[in-house]
Formats: sequence, structure tokens, C-alpha cells
Amino acid sequence: MSVRTTGLVTLIHREILRYVRRPWNTFLPPTITNALYLIVFGVILGGRIQVTGTSYIHFILPGLIVLGAVSDAFQNASFSIFHGRWNEYIHEVQTAPLSYTEMVVAYVLSSALRGTLIAVLIGAVGVLFTNLLPSMAPIGFAHPFLVVAFVVVITLLFASFGVIGGLWAEDFDHLTVMNQFIIRPLVFFGAVFYPLNDLSPFWQNASLLNPMVYMVEGLRFAMLGSSTLDPRVSLGVLSVVTAVLVTLDVQLFKHGFGLTD
Amino acid sequence: MTDNPSHDILFQFPLLPTNVTLAISATNLKKSYGEVQALDGISLSVEQGEFFGLLGPNGAGKTTFINTLVGLVKKSGGDASVFGYDIESDYREARDRIGLAPQEYNVDRFFPIREVLIHKAGYHGITDEEAASRAENALKTVGIYDKRNTRFDWLSGGMKRRFMLARALVTDPELLILDEPTAGVDVELRHDLWEIITELNDAGTTILLTTHYIEEAERLCDRVAIMDQGRKLTVASPESLMERGSDTIRLTLENAPNEPPAIDDERIESLWIEGAQLVVTARTGGEIAPALIRALDHNGHTVLDMNIERTSLEEVFVSLTNGEEPGKSVTSQQEVAQ
Repeated sequence: MSVRTTGLVTLIHREILRYVRRPWNTFLPPTITNALYLIVFGVILGGRIQVTGTSYIHFILPGLIVLGAVSDAFQNASFSIFHGRWNEYIHEVQTAPLSYTEMVVAYVLSSALRGTLIAVLIGAVGVLFTNLLPSMAPIGFAHPFLVVAFVVVITLLFASFGVIGGLWAEDFDHLTVMNQFIIRPLVFFGAVFYPLNDLSPFWQNASLLNPMVYMVEGLRFAMLGSSTLDPRVSLGVLSVVTAVLVTLDVQLFKHGFGLTD
Repeated sequence: MTDNPSHDILFQFPLLPTNVTLAISATNLKKSYGEVQALDGISLSVEQGEFFGLLGPNGAGKTTFINTLVGLVKKSGGDASVFGYDIESDYREARDRIGLAPQEYNVDRFFPIREVLIHKAGYHGITDEEAASRAENALKTVGIYDKRNTRFDWLSGGMKRRFMLARALVTDPELLILDEPTAGVDVELRHDLWEIITELNDAGTTILLTTHYIEEAERLCDRVAIMDQGRKLTVASPESLMERGSDTIRLTLENAPNEPPAIDDERIESLWIEGAQLVVTARTGGEIAPALIRALDHNGHTVLDMNIERTSLEEVFVSLTNGEEPGKSVTSQQEVAQ
């Protein structure tokens, strides 16, 4: 490992250790929350909700995976950076000979990995539920490569977004505001719980402005084999947005936004 | 990361950068916060291997200067380099050579202190195994090895201060920057820290120290810069700075007159009577003292006792930062028996 790679790997390692050592705070809550979602919406209410071509639990699972993955990817990046700023220990990174790109890559990759692990956990809970219930068909992965591609891109995107949140926040309340008033509405109006084509044409078009729709519809296609939007369009849009956000992150670090006086 | 600065620079960079002989070079460095000039065109040079002190009252710009060098503050103008590497265009090379122990605690709270050191070394490109070894050595050097598995928040105040030095040392820096390293610590710890950094300096590490303790600067520094309101007022060795002040000679007379006697010596700056004492101020008290005694004897006065109160760096510091003449107040004393 070269001298410069060592710095990048060390920061990624530090970031991963931070959440891996606290599974009760990081992995257990979303697992329990999503198990509850599946019990209520999938099992108890699911039989009463009609969705064309599939059971409701199969329909909502991709959305729940997206919801959990992006929330944790965003939360990890924003919290880690903001907490480091709040307690000023991010200076350990700032004063090190890491390039600004390396700093961003480390925060984004480690946060995206956390989102991916959450996606795997929620997927596992879904598989467990459908296998335990005799009336349910097991969860399938129609396009496994696309499943991986979507999970990777959406977690990278929200990790990159989380970096901006972590740099922008001036108080812990700001992190809550971003989660409650930006992320959550996007998720709930992102076709997680309803099919996009159930909406009127106007709201269908309006929904296309919501990046969450591309994520949910893309992963839905990858898992179920059908969705309202073309998955290639979804993956393309999400990849472009991710690239823009990572570039913006690097520029913010370079100019010391939220980091330097 | 480098173990030997000069060797690494030679091996890695055949074309030596400019100012390679200077550990720190700042030219007209500026930092403004709105209307406030935190750094008002500072120009400063610190040579390799030097023990350099930054003195100044609160708000003088000392910490801003340091934070500009390490990348925590963006300069508004001017230039600065560390071992010839520009702090902005060559920021990685510059930062790799600096170990910083800031005044405020800014330590990763999530990990035991040994791991914090390993991470810090890793950011500087040091491999895991080497980083672990350095972390243990650094903790032993500052005397808190037995606390290696404790998180920073659980250390005592003195241990925290020791840890700040350990973190600065773990990357084996060529330039060690210490911002008020002994602020609020007890005498024993202060002397321990002095010993450690003196040994480092003797081994070739350049040290930039900011302090409020004048004694610390007098004792440790080869040169000091006195700063005030973002400006550099002067740079000199502590000894030469002290020579700029006036000594005070107190002569106890057997029958002191009401008015000071006329003594014709151009080295005398002022003289007056205080009770039974004749008080004389002069630039070099030790040199003028014999002539004073002879002149008083010639005028019929018997000198019973004499004290020479040397000017101190603190007096010079106060006079420079307040715009007053030094030499009136007294902090150190040299007694001369008659």
C-alpha cells in the first residue's frame, strides 16, 4: 500500500469502525423498524391493498430498502462530519496530508457501505418474512446485477448529500430538520407505498422531480422485473446526480465550507 | 511521512523548493474577519532546528497564524510556506511535516487514545504496524502509556495535555507547533513538557511555541516574535530583547539627601530619591554600578547596600504591547553585596 493510499484507507477504516462497534445504535434500529413495517403493511394490511401483478409486501419491500439505505447513508455522513466539526476533532483529518478528494471519498464510501449493509439487512428481513409465511411467494431478485447497481448508486448519492448536510449544519437541530423535512417527505412521496401510475398524470409528472422515485422504481424493477419507469433512465439520472454531488463535496472541502475560518 | 527531514527532501525531491532552509516562511500574511484584521501583513521566518516563540496578548493573532499554516484558517492574502512548501498549493507536503498540539482539545472521542494516535499516524501514510509502534512510544514519552485503552474524555486534565503532545509527536514531525502547551498545568507537568520538547529540539525538530508564560519563552526559545493586533512588533532573542529595557539600581545611602545628587554620567537615564535609597535607571546596570559608587563617594555619600534589578522579557513585552517604556516595573532581581 502506498503512503498516500494508507491515509485514505485509514480514514475509511476509522469511519467504518465508528458504526460497526455500535450495532445497537446503527444496525438494530432500522432492522426492527422495517420488520414492523413489513408486519403492519405487508402482513396485517397487505391482503387488503390491491397492487397489480404482485403482493403488497413484495411491492413495498424495494421502497423500504431504499428508505433504510438512503436514510442511513445520509445520516452517517452528515453526523460523522458534523460531530467532528462540533467537537473539532475533524481537525485531525483536516491537518493531515490527505487530499480534499480523499477526504470526501472516505466519508462517502464508508457512509455508502453503511447504507448498503442496512439494505442487505432489510432485504434479509423481507426474505425471512416471505419464507416464513406459507401464503407468500418468496422474494425474488429478477435482475441481481441491477439490484447491486441501484443499491450502490443510491447509497453513494445520499452519502454525498450527507456530506453537504454535515458541512452545512450549525447545530444538531439542523440535522433533524434535514432528515424530517427533506429526506422523509421525499421518501413518502417517492412511490414507496403506492404505484406511480395510480396518480393522476399531473402528479406522475411532478413526481419525476423527486429523485427518490427513480431509486424506488429502479430497485423495484431490479427485484420484481417490472416498474413504471425505465430502469436505465433511473440509473442514468441517479449516476449523474451522484457525480455532481461528489464534485460539489470536493469543492466544498477545498474551499473549507463549514471547516475553516 | 519522513523520519529525517533533510534526507527525505533530498531523496524525494531532487529539485529543491525555494526557501528550503526555512522551516516557516510567511510574507505579508493576512487574515481578516470582516473589519477585523486578525493577521495584518505578518512576515516571519523560522529557521530549521530553531526553537521559536510567539508572544502576544489575547487576540494578537498567534493562533490564527498557526491555524493558517496547518489549514484550519484560510488566509486572506500574502504567502506562507513550511519547509519550502506553499501552505495552499503544496498543502499535503506542508501538512505532512507539521505536528500540532493546539490549545483547545480537539480529539476523536469515539476511540481509545491509542487508536486515536494510530489513526492520526495512518492519515500521514504510516502503516498499521509502524503506527501502532509509534503510538505506544508516543504514549510512553509523555507518560500515559497505562491509559492507552482509555478514551480521551476520561483522562485527567494533565493527562489530556500530555496526550495533545503525544498526538503531535506520533507523526514524527519536522515542525512541532505547540499552542499554549502548558496553559493551566501544574509545575511538575510543565517541567516534564519542557524537558520533552527541549530534547526534541536538541534532536533537530523545529519548534514553534506560543505561550503566555514569559518565563517559558525566556527559558526555551532561541528567538521570539512579539505580536499584537495581528502585527509583528519585533523578533529577537530573549537576551537581546531584555537588553532593550532599562535596569534599576537601588543604592541605600547612610544619610540620604532630599534631592538626588548631581552625577555626570551620560549612561544614566533617570535618578530620584525614595526614602533612604537613591534609585537610578540605566540600560546596563552592571556596567554603571562601580562608577556610581565612586561618584557618590566623591560627593561624600556612603553607600550601605546596592541592588540591581534587571529588566525582564515581561517588561519588554508589556512595554511593546502597551507602547510604554520598559524598565519601571520589576520582576527579577540580582543582588550585589557591597
